[in-house]
Amino acid sequence: MEDKLYKKEIWLTIGFSALLLLCGHSAMIFRIFPGLCKGTFWGFPTEYIVPILLGWFGLAVVCVIMALILNKFDDEMETYVDGQSPDKP
Amino acid sequence: MAEEYALQNVWLGIGVVAILFGIFYYVGWWASRKTASEEDFYAAGFSIGPVTNGLGMAATWASLATFLGVIALIQKLQVPFVYLWIQWAISIPLLTLLYGTSLRRMKAFTPASFIRSRYGKSSTIVIVCWMALIMVMYALGQMIGLGQAFELLFGIPYNIGLIIAGIATVGFITMGGMYGASYNAAFQMIVMTIAMIVPMGAIMKAMGSSGWWFPPLAYGDMAPSMLEKIPTFFDMKYDVRWYFALIPAFTLGPVALPHLAMRVFTSSSVKSARWAVVWFVIFLGLLFSGSYTAGFAGNYFAATTGRTIAKPDQTLLILNVFYNPALVAAFVMGGAVAAGLSTIGGNLMAIAGLVGNDLLSILAPRMETKKRIKWGYAALAIGGVVAILLAFNPPRFLVTSILWAFGLLATTATPGILLGVWWKEANKLALMISSILCGVIYIIISPHVLPSISLGGTGLVAQLGMSGGMVTVPLSFALFILCSIAFNRVPALADWAPSMEDKMVVDKIHGWGDYDEKRYNGIGWPLLIVAICCAVFFWGLVPWT
Repeated sequence: MEDKLYKKEIWLTIGFSALLLLCGHSAMIFRIFPGLCKGTFWGFPTEYIVPILLGWFGLAVVCVIMALILNKFDDEMETYVDGQSPDKP
Repeated sequence: MAEEYALQNVWLGIGVVAILFGIFYYVGWWASRKTASEEDFYAAGFSIGPVTNGLGMAATWASLATFLGVIALIQKLQVPFVYLWIQWAISIPLLTLLYGTSLRRMKAFTPASFIRSRYGKSSTIVIVCWMALIMVMYALGQMIGLGQAFELLFGIPYNIGLIIAGIATVGFITMGGMYGASYNAAFQMIVMTIAMIVPMGAIMKAMGSSGWWFPPLAYGDMAPSMLEKIPTFFDMKYDVRWYFALIPAFTLGPVALPHLAMRVFTSSSVKSARWAVVWFVIFLGLLFSGSYTAGFAGNYFAATTGRTIAKPDQTLLILNVFYNPALVAAFVMGGAVAAGLSTIGGNLMAIAGLVGNDLLSILAPRMETKKRIKWGYAALAIGGVVAILLAFNPPRFLVTSILWAFGLLATTATPGILLGVWWKEANKLALMISSILCGVIYIIISPHVLPSISLGGTGLVAQLGMSGGMVTVPLSFALFILCSIAFNRVPALADWAPSMEDKMVVDKIHGWGDYDEKRYNGIGWPLLIVAICCAVFFWGLVPWT
């Protein structure tokens, strides 16, 4: 259980860090793959509006998922820690 | 001529600012009655709920630059500067994820409180000095902006505007402590969002956009016309390395900003902090997107009317004076003032925490709590007065770029905090060596202090610290890790190695009830980070074109 929780914490942190970086730096993807700079969305060039949307709504979605999953993880950790405590049944 | 757009009715400006300051002082007075302990003064009693904290986080992050500098730089750099600004929204989510909740668990007042528990006194003094320098630079930039805003609003000389704005600001922040700073920041965020978005709707309508009803995103119908006038407006302009260089300097720097971390620490719980981050992203996204629209509108205005915006910092005011009634233009400037105040509030609270709590607990460990709180108030007021005095005749080095200071923070403080939280082998001496050495290298290779020794030339990438950060940030991480591994294995340096107490701090802040030597230990992952850092370092050394 302890090992599983520890690994889960590490991988959740790495995964969410990557997602946050992706949301904040999506413009770089358009620079690496210039072929993506085609067409328009809501009237704007995609390479302009997509980073703005990802940096706002995309980031908000990632943060909601992060809050839900990491708060649940905290509950699991508390349950584990309480189970370890000698004065608990 | 820019002058023809200046706010003509001075009394409108005075009225708007007087009402706003009246509210800020009332909140400060109300907050002062709630402040009875260090927890209250530095962390608002760890009691701020997610929505208020989300608003407060957004207000603390969104400075005067959101109303002035960003729009001016979009005028100059166009869309690449929008990309640069977008990535700042991930700063608080990233710091909350990587160490914010861990430090909230240990009830730290500032990141330096953690440094003291984890690395001891000497390392704390080093980190506090770097952070305090950067906070003074930050507050100084806001003070200069406030002086200029008062100059514009009231038509008074800059120095007089600075004295009035500075003293009035330091007064209500000192009065209210973190309670006042938090609730005032939440209110200021609402003011600045309304001031940015609503008048911008009227401007977009006057410019002919059918999307005037939602200025942050609905002006796409103006894009073809913009491309006709300025064909290069949406061009990405720079190479991949320019975009990558945003990460070391501008993403990893703000992660260690103490005034942002302190907002996370004021949360009523660890879980509440995570929800506050969600609100932060929503509120900040709205305001930032409004700034991008203003930048777009500024370019569009200049291109379609043929008028020259002589002072790009004043673009938003100029647009409002041109298209909106004078009262609206005055309210927009009130929003800009609120943006400056919320950031100064955060900066001064950070200085108070760093000096009044972290430094004083080292220099005078037996001081009574009540006396220490008084010193906290004193540190806050003195920090404000120093920023005002510096703003009269600002040293060029200090005001050249607040953005440049982010790279300095990423170099000197971020590795110590992140590795301290996630790696038990992080060594005290290694932290001091890597922080001081790489911080000094960052200053030397920037064009601001010794222009003859500059990495990245004198261009924008060097001035903003992007080229320097791409060298010194990975160097600092790599040096810290390699020195830690080496020093921990040298018996003569055993005093600097992490003690059992230091290592237990790591397990404790992650929520573990027991201690396990294997957790957050080992050298596999750190060496992988060193390898990545080496690649980035050598990429950073390639000459910039």
